[in-house]
Amino acid sequence: MDTLNELIGGFAAALTWQNLIFAFLGCLLGTIIGVLPGIGPVAGVALLIPLTMNLDATGAIIMLCAIFYGTAYGGTITSVLLNTPGEAASAITTIDGYAMTKIGKAGAALTIAAVGSFVGGTIATLGLVAAAKPLGELGLLVGPPEFFALMVVGISLLVALAGKSMVKALISGALGLLISMVGIDPVAGAPRFTFGSDNLLDGVSFVAVIVGVFGLSEILSYRKDTSASAVHAPGLRSLLPTGTEWRRSAPSMARGTGIGFGLGLIPGMTGSVSSLLAYGAEKKFSKHRNQLGKGAVEGVAGPETANNAHANAALIPLFTLGIPASPTIAVLMGAFLQQGLTPGPTLFTEHSEIAWAIIASLFIGNLLLLLLNVPLVGLWTSILRVPAPILTALILLFMVIGAYTINFNVFDVFVMIGFGLLGLALRHLDIPLAPMVLTLVLGPLMERSLRESLEISQGDFGIFLNRPISMVLIAIGVLIILSPLLKLRKPQALNEDPET
Amino acid sequence: MPRTRLAAVLAAATLIALTGCGANAGGSNNANNSGTDFPKKGKTIELIVSFSSGGAVDTAARLVQPILEKELGTNVEVVNKPGAGGQIGYTQLTSAKPDGYTIGATGSPSVVVSPLDPARGAKYTRSSFQPLGRQVIDPTVIAVQPDSPYKTLKELLDAAKAKPKSMTASTTGLQTGEHFALAQLQETTGAEFAPVHFSEGASQATTAFLGKHVDILVANVSDVTDLNKQGKVRVLGVMTAERAPSLPDVPTFKEAGYDIEAGTVRGYSAPAGLPDAVAKKLEAALKKAIEDPTVVKKMEDLGLQTSYLSGADYAQFWAGQEDDFKKVLPLVTKKD
Repeated sequence: MDTLNELIGGFAAALTWQNLIFAFLGCLLGTIIGVLPGIGPVAGVALLIPLTMNLDATGAIIMLCAIFYGTAYGGTITSVLLNTPGEAASAITTIDGYAMTKIGKAGAALTIAAVGSFVGGTIATLGLVAAAKPLGELGLLVGPPEFFALMVVGISLLVALAGKSMVKALISGALGLLISMVGIDPVAGAPRFTFGSDNLLDGVSFVAVIVGVFGLSEILSYRKDTSASAVHAPGLRSLLPTGTEWRRSAPSMARGTGIGFGLGLIPGMTGSVSSLLAYGAEKKFSKHRNQLGKGAVEGVAGPETANNAHANAALIPLFTLGIPASPTIAVLMGAFLQQGLTPGPTLFTEHSEIAWAIIASLFIGNLLLLLLNVPLVGLWTSILRVPAPILTALILLFMVIGAYTINFNVFDVFVMIGFGLLGLALRHLDIPLAPMVLTLVLGPLMERSLRESLEISQGDFGIFLNRPISMVLIAIGVLIILSPLLKLRKPQALNEDPET
Repeated sequence: MPRTRLAAVLAAATLIALTGCGANAGGSNNANNSGTDFPKKGKTIELIVSFSSGGAVDTAARLVQPILEKELGTNVEVVNKPGAGGQIGYTQLTSAKPDGYTIGATGSPSVVVSPLDPARGAKYTRSSFQPLGRQVIDPTVIAVQPDSPYKTLKELLDAAKAKPKSMTASTTGLQTGEHFALAQLQETTGAEFAPVHFSEGASQATTAFLGKHVDILVANVSDVTDLNKQGKVRVLGVMTAERAPSLPDVPTFKEAGYDIEAGTVRGYSAPAGLPDAVAKKLEAALKKAIEDPTVVKKMEDLGLQTSYLSGADYAQFWAGQEDDFKKVLPLVTKKD
């Protein structure tokens, strides 16, 4: 009952005009980002953080969450219409989605995808509501040692799952930790690694780093020809799927929700794993599996539902445990921290109203996404007609303005460019970027909880092993790191996933 | 299709325009030396709080904020910059342009002491601040878990004397008010606790205490007033000459036989070098806001006693505190 009351309170806060507009803008911008090929969700969310910096905490987070799942939907549109996925998680949708376009059912495919996304996203958010209270109540049990151990688990999961080589992932993670050490020592107050520069006293600006590492380097390394020939936006009449198509997609949506929700909870899994598995499930279980690949509606409904269920479910570990489950979520978590909110068990004890307003806005956002996408398909496709050089130039301009407006400091623009070049170098060396952004976000929290823990134990590292919760967590972390030695294989799909 | 292309370019341009809209705060490029037109309408004044949201400093700032807005006729935005026991926020405050559009909450001892210890490498000194007004004095208290075996101050301190460092006690950071209080306690009574520094502020310290991760909560009256009502802490003593009105049943340290007085003093300051006209306007607005009856009442409900001092008097008080703290500083400097 308590949960319900708080959720209703959350709806009251989220349904103000102001917050509705933020949710709407977020969905809109997120979808645009998803449509644009070459900018993935991580870069997209990073790019748009500066937009939200000066909003109040609730509005900013609502908008960012909306951007986040907007991207999860936007990628679908280009997959279906152009056979070009806007982001990795929609790649599998191209098979049947584009096949449907060729037989004149593009509208039906997009509508089914939008409805599937809505169903998956809403059910996953219900899961968040159910999990928030019980897990949030564990908040007080999580002291500094447990918090530190949680961070260890989060980092080891992402390191273990990212890229092809764990050594390279560790290099990337260590880089992020190093960068996070720049600035005033959070306990003793002495400046560290600032080289006497006042610009570095407050640390390297997180937003500038993310925009550089993900956004700029992605643009710099993007060479693919985007000139899309003859795209026809589907007419309104062809938007509606037939009754049979609805009936056929329902079970696929159910399967997609289950798969996306389950995998979204696991830190380190990305949306593409969910959509690939959902497609696999359709191939195995669908009644019409023989038609898959030739424009079967199941091939769109399953993966797209899974994709959005995943995106929303991935917020559960962030809200309740403070573990970012994917690079995009790590960027989102960075934005939380910028707003003075520490995601995790204490979020519901310290900032309960904000937390519930955000959860309520997730429901609203999922609905807005549905209302927004179906009628606006024509506009989305027209964005792709902007010649790539103009589009790239606009995005670059946007990045520079974004970096500058963080603190109205040109220094941040140079930080952004510098990290863009670093990101490009890392891409060429095949070093995954995800562990770096994760440790960059978690570094300060880890340092704080480590130092607090050692003060509690008066210098004894045994504190992490003496307390049952932290001991179990540390053991899990060690197991994950040792998993290659134990010959536990990670899903093949993660190796080729550009998001990791 | 030129029309759709135009639409798309427009969509992209909107993105860029929006960045500009979001960026209304913080710009300080047109400082006016005379300051007679301060504050410009539509230009936001940033109020930096050097501790995390939810603590007493933050709450007080958020209470005066709406009245400041009314008095100054422009937006006032509270910005939390926690870390290093206040030093991160103070650094930001003092490195801002002295044009009145950046002010900050300053609390002693943290703001007074952090520049005194060379090991902290603080970029500011007392003269980097221009005090604008003092708001409250918030006395320090010592509290234990409600199920703790220690019922009185004497029992607790005797136990800590018998087994030094056997109990952990929270502070809001190295060399903050709580840390000084612990040092004074050790100096006068010989009772030694192991300090745990929660450098982001009181809300982190109380959360850890409620989760029983630290044994003793060293905090201010305002931090425990509400918890005391809910029965979640047992407050053993308050470090003032007289009992705190919001904790009438809690004895003072003096009553218990220990001559210790300690507390946190909070006010508002700007970076030094403010044009006179700007300083006058800010001081007047702060006086109005701090002495506003509804603010005073709300502060009282939180256990905070308003104790206003003008900018000049606050500056003098600050200088006096600096002399006092210089004497006890060796007690709280890191030896290892």
